[in-house]
Amino acid sequence: MSTVAQQLDKSVRDTGPPKRIGLPWGKIVHYLYCSLSYIFLLSPMIVVIGASFHGGEFYTAIKFPPDEPSLRWYTKIPQTQYEALGLSFLLAGSAALGACIIGIPAALGIVRGIIPGKALISSIFRAPLQIPSIVTGIAFLQLFYIVGDATGLYLQGTFAGLYIGHVFVATPYVVGTVTAVLQRFDTRLEEAALSLGASRMSAFFRVTLPVIMPGVYAGGLYAFMVSFGDVPISIFLTSPGFVTYPVELFYGMENDFDPSILASASLVIFFCLLALLGMQKLVGLDALLRSGSR
Amino acid sequence: MQARWEYLLLPSFVFVVLLIVSSQYVFLKGSFYEDLGLGQIGDTFDWVNYNKFFSDTFYLSTLWITVKVSALATLFTMLLGFPVAYLIARMRSQWAMILLAGVVVSTFVTIVIKVFGLIIIFSADGLLNKFLMGIGIVDTPYTIIGNQTGVVVGLMHFTLGFGVLLLYSVIQTIPRSLEDAAQIHGASRWRMHLRVLLPLSLPGVTVGALMIFNMSMGAFTSAALLGGGRVFTLPVLIQRTMMMEIKYSMAGTLAAVLLIAVLLINLLSVFLLRRLRAARLVIA
Amino acid sequence: MTRLKLKKTAIAGALGVACAVLLAGTATAGQFDGVTLRVGTWGGAWKGDQEAVIVPKFEALGGKIEFVTGSPQANLAKLIAGRGKAPFDIMEILDAQIGDFLKAKFLQPIDLSKIPNKADLEDWQYDTNKVGSWFTQETICYNQDKFRELGLARPTTYSDLANAKLKGRLSIPDITSGGGLANFGAFAYAGGGDEKNVQPGLKLINSLNALKFWSRGGEVVTQFQSGDVYAAVVHAGWCVRARKAGANVTTVHPVINDKYVGVHKHGWLGIMKSSKQIEAAHWYINQFIDEDFQFAFATRSGVVPVNKKAIARLAEDPVLKEMLQLAKADIDRQLRLDYTKADIGAWTDQWNRSVTKQ
Repeated sequence: MSTVAQQLDKSVRDTGPPKRIGLPWGKIVHYLYCSLSYIFLLSPMIVVIGASFHGGEFYTAIKFPPDEPSLRWYTKIPQTQYEALGLSFLLAGSAALGACIIGIPAALGIVRGIIPGKALISSIFRAPLQIPSIVTGIAFLQLFYIVGDATGLYLQGTFAGLYIGHVFVATPYVVGTVTAVLQRFDTRLEEAALSLGASRMSAFFRVTLPVIMPGVYAGGLYAFMVSFGDVPISIFLTSPGFVTYPVELFYGMENDFDPSILASASLVIFFCLLALLGMQKLVGLDALLRSGSR
Repeated sequence: MQARWEYLLLPSFVFVVLLIVSSQYVFLKGSFYEDLGLGQIGDTFDWVNYNKFFSDTFYLSTLWITVKVSALATLFTMLLGFPVAYLIARMRSQWAMILLAGVVVSTFVTIVIKVFGLIIIFSADGLLNKFLMGIGIVDTPYTIIGNQTGVVVGLMHFTLGFGVLLLYSVIQTIPRSLEDAAQIHGASRWRMHLRVLLPLSLPGVTVGALMIFNMSMGAFTSAALLGGGRVFTLPVLIQRTMMMEIKYSMAGTLAAVLLIAVLLINLLSVFLLRRLRAARLVIA
Repeated sequence: MTRLKLKKTAIAGALGVACAVLLAGTATAGQFDGVTLRVGTWGGAWKGDQEAVIVPKFEALGGKIEFVTGSPQANLAKLIAGRGKAPFDIMEILDAQIGDFLKAKFLQPIDLSKIPNKADLEDWQYDTNKVGSWFTQETICYNQDKFRELGLARPTTYSDLANAKLKGRLSIPDITSGGGLANFGAFAYAGGGDEKNVQPGLKLINSLNALKFWSRGGEVVTQFQSGDVYAAVVHAGWCVRARKAGANVTTVHPVINDKYVGVHKHGWLGIMKSSKQIEAAHWYINQFIDEDFQFAFATRSGVVPVNKKAIARLAEDPVLKEMLQLAKADIDRQLRLDYTKADIGAWTDQWNRSVTKQ
């Protein structure tokens, strides 16, 4: 898609950066520094994945490196964990969608609206982040009982109830990322499009939306992950035979140790990697995550 | 014709405020009444719980520790996250996707599981300590479980993925051409970062930093597991007050203090940033 | 004990029930047709054992069982939020919580005549409010190799662990962990206090050198394996697991005040006041304390059965025999806290202030 932004930048980009002589020290230091971040981020996961291949029978703790490599525990993942995984993916997907529906207009309003107290308003949108999740969980449970006693419509233990709780905590992430990207957005681009005769709607969809889309994806992705990983809220809003994956995991580790949990956690990692790389192959996810300004 | 963007804000704002108020109402109300245990509260309005909070150094120091570890986690998340986000945003190859996938995937594993990996990595006889002691940096095994460093590390594991994603989406809206232009005019790489990249990304960085700070202030699982029962942040204390002591009024008070404190810190930092910008101490 | 064995037990059990049903004719066939029983318990393998053994038997009688995953603390919080309306019919209750359940009147009376398996329990392990379901023996678990290396004798009391050589190598349960309260109480007794006075316990804990607090037993086993800790206060089941996972550890049942040897923590089952499935709830409790399930469940999860016949069978396993106290006289000498005298809120508050001080 050719946007105004691209056209504006094209002239400068074609010239490219100047060529430098000697070792690119800046670059080397930068790469080393970034690998540190990755070691920090990935090392505990590598231990977990490695340990999931340990095949010992009396396997009651993390063993890394694994002694007798096998897929033993992968075959022992109980059906309930798969069911919980399915529910969690569904819930997280729809929660991320809900967060976008609420979050994108909110971010547009915060950045572009002419209103007093913007700092306060955006702080209020961020508030669900700092309310400890356990408080949120019990608070919603209490609320659902109160509403239920008054109206006869009990939301606790239903998908709807769980959904409301998850959208509540997921929305701030979309608001945050879209706000961050929007603040960088040069409204002159939109004005340029308008002066070229575009309608406001089409200026929004052709110019603004492509620019903020990476923020939407980033926020949506994180909203998904927050919902997917939540324990403290879900524990109070789930119901019999209706348990999310992290809740199953959390209370599976509390009083007992179940090695198949390591295996299923590793499976989730592999699945997500495959999904991401598959999306890349199919639609070019990196293109999606890049705005039209390049 | 001027578009009225603020109308777009209204439905979302009403929805979020409604959810906050309706869900927190019971807790907030409870915080103004005496606690009778097991979720029961007295029937006369008073400030007893708040008086208790503000007259007790244990509670006050918990608030202070929460702010401290959250601020540190925010700082280090930004310091670790920004270069990574920049690297990915400026990469043209397939590697960008793989690096991004690494960040995303690491966020998918709950800290409940990751903590086992961290125990192995930081165990007294573990690889890291053998290495550190071998090259003589430390002489006693270094551990992170059960001290404030551990909590900061846990919070960073919780926020770094988000930090990278957010900064990535901000940085890639900055046209590379601007950086190239600066370099064409002879600016060094560092100068370019300082004078072009940083100011341009500052609004996004501010939003990101505030969010990461707020996330850290509210985080329970990572703080609890890495704190090893020795480091209390407010969410950890709130969890204990609710689940062990079953004192909902006090928990409500703690949650209210946390909520208000974070709100004030948010407003204050935005205010300070504006003043700095007005004084041209920060170029933006 | 493996899952496979559990499954075999389950199949055998199901067949047994099927035969019994056939023999009894139509009187019991489909006894629980259309009944859904909801059980509040932990997740993972803990729940898996119940799914493998008890659920098939219930389904053979026409009913369906749903599990509510969560800790007893989380499930109590759900009850409080619902003012006694529970999303489950039965739940696992820890001994420290019993007082709260009675005070809030969340339980309904159990008709003990419907629980014939109680005959295999000690008298104090059941009453009209609750039936014991398992217990743990809280011990000092230590690495024999490391102790020999350091020239340390086998510890017999908590204060034996206050040795500079164990600096940073000792792990005790955090108050929020499963065995947290039982061990905290035991420390209090060992320090000269009791349920009403836990300060001596905190003094004793602080005198142990630079210790760690664990919140999940799996962490302790991992730390034993990686060589991170040399001794831990932990229930014998975790020590058994650490041994079976390769660490040369064994248990000591601590001597407390020359009066008690070892510490006892009890798990219970109770029927919720709001439950409508009273018959099925009784049936479930009876099945839970059944010899075969108790034996299979306990050997895998590391807790001790309440069923006396199952306890006797544990002695067949040399490791269990070594690490657990299985004779009635020994079990009776273990410290059992009286939580009705304890103010858990005050315990927690004092603990919190004490451990953060250092």
